[in-house]
Amino acid sequence: MTALTDDWEAPTTETAFGYEPWLFQLMLDQLEEEKELDIGWVYSVLEKLAERYQLEDVIVNIDVKNFGAQLFRLGRRAISTDLASRLGATPGVYCNPDVVPEVERDAVRAACQLVLSLHYARYIAGTDFLTKIANEITFKAAFEAACANSARYGWAFTYVLIDIDEFKKINDTYSYSVGNDVIRRYGLAIRRSVRSGDVAARLHGDEFAVLLSNAGGHEVAGFIDRLRFNLGPLNLGPSNLGPAIENVTFSFGSATSPRESTDHDVIEDLAEDRLKEVKKKKGFTR
Amino acid sequence: MMSPTEEDFELELRSLPGVLNVEIRKDEYGEVDAVTLIVFEHDPEDVRVEAKHLVSLYFPSAAVVIEDASSAIVPRESLAPRVALVGASFNPENGTCEVELNFTGRIGIGRGGSGQLFGGAEATLLALRDLGFDVPFYLLSVVNVATTRGWPVVVTLRPFSDGADMFGIAQADSDVLSASMATLSALNRFLSMSKNAS
Repeated sequence: MTALTDDWEAPTTETAFGYEPWLFQLMLDQLEEEKELDIGWVYSVLEKLAERYQLEDVIVNIDVKNFGAQLFRLGRRAISTDLASRLGATPGVYCNPDVVPEVERDAVRAACQLVLSLHYARYIAGTDFLTKIANEITFKAAFEAACANSARYGWAFTYVLIDIDEFKKINDTYSYSVGNDVIRRYGLAIRRSVRSGDVAARLHGDEFAVLLSNAGGHEVAGFIDRLRFNLGPLNLGPSNLGPAIENVTFSFGSATSPRESTDHDVIEDLAEDRLKEVKKKKGFTR
Repeated sequence: MMSPTEEDFELELRSLPGVLNVEIRKDEYGEVDAVTLIVFEHDPEDVRVEAKHLVSLYFPSAAVVIEDASSAIVPRESLAPRVALVGASFNPENGTCEVELNFTGRIGIGRGGSGQLFGGAEATLLALRDLGFDVPFYLLSVVNVATTRGWPVVVTLRPFSDGADMFGIAQADSDVLSASMATLSALNRFLSMSKNAS
């Protein structure tokens, strides 16, 4: 560990730190506007760099874990395939004309890489890895907020709990990878079936939950119809799973707020009890 | 600035395996009408299926275009940094040309005093040497030739030792600029092989 002593002096120039102040300022501006640092910011950096050096074109190639090489071009334009194959191998900032000092290009590349990593980390923290819909943490926050709004303003919503029938059998009969594919396809179908403003999540295993916003209860039937339609194998693209996917059914239970309660535990329990009841009638256990 | 939905959409597209670059195109009303993905070293058809699912969730009417960069084979030499011409000017008062070049952020300046054509080419060679390039050629001729589309400048360079002459041709707004561009054009192969300016 290095101790700070009296003879330690703060660097006086930006190069001593190896960063570019305008980049840092661009980050601060974004955060001050309460905007997240994300892909949009990468394009802002390219615009700013082009403005500073009067560039006709600029491309940044960043290599980020979980993505591999990623190319971003000024003006959000596509990159020709031959240029992409040339630049895809080497991270860096490519400018036309090539007038940007190397230290500044390095700083731009590093900042863009950091921001893409941040965006991905934020995205993945709130998303279910398998289905790419919300995870339980994100859903709980949305559910509690919906209950609070329902209690305070009377805003209606319906909570729908969905469970795949006999999912364990799929895993046992085929394999876990087939089971995962079934879950992934359910996630996609649910995502397709919700409306803008609804929240869909995978809670755990084969259990999904949906918050239908501004819904007093009648909307559930419409949502379930859409879900059944979207689960049709033809609507989900080619599958080599055969009967494993075609014969999978699901059960659901729902509860509506504020009509039935505004307490999230009560709403959850009501939907759970109704789901159990349906399963029982079908002869399945939960 | 894009809406948060569009940013997450682009993030999701980029997280598909093999996707190298994304373009989200909008129509005149600002609606997303096409998404282009540049794919590298992955089966484009697999990516197309995944991308279509994804695009249908956000923008159901948008078209999906997949372009495969794997088939575009480019020699590694072209990754080398290139010399860029920043500016070339002629001062009519003293008859001198000045050429400014940039190589990986470093500036090289050269001046020549033999009119726009010869002076422009001479200044370019000096600017290259100012950048640290060892250029083993001398100027043999600089001429502009009449064509149906204007007066391009042709530069011929001869090596100090044995070897073939190098030719370059360019046409720009002024003779000095044409001469400078033609000199760089003549040295194009030599400069791309010479990766490091000492």
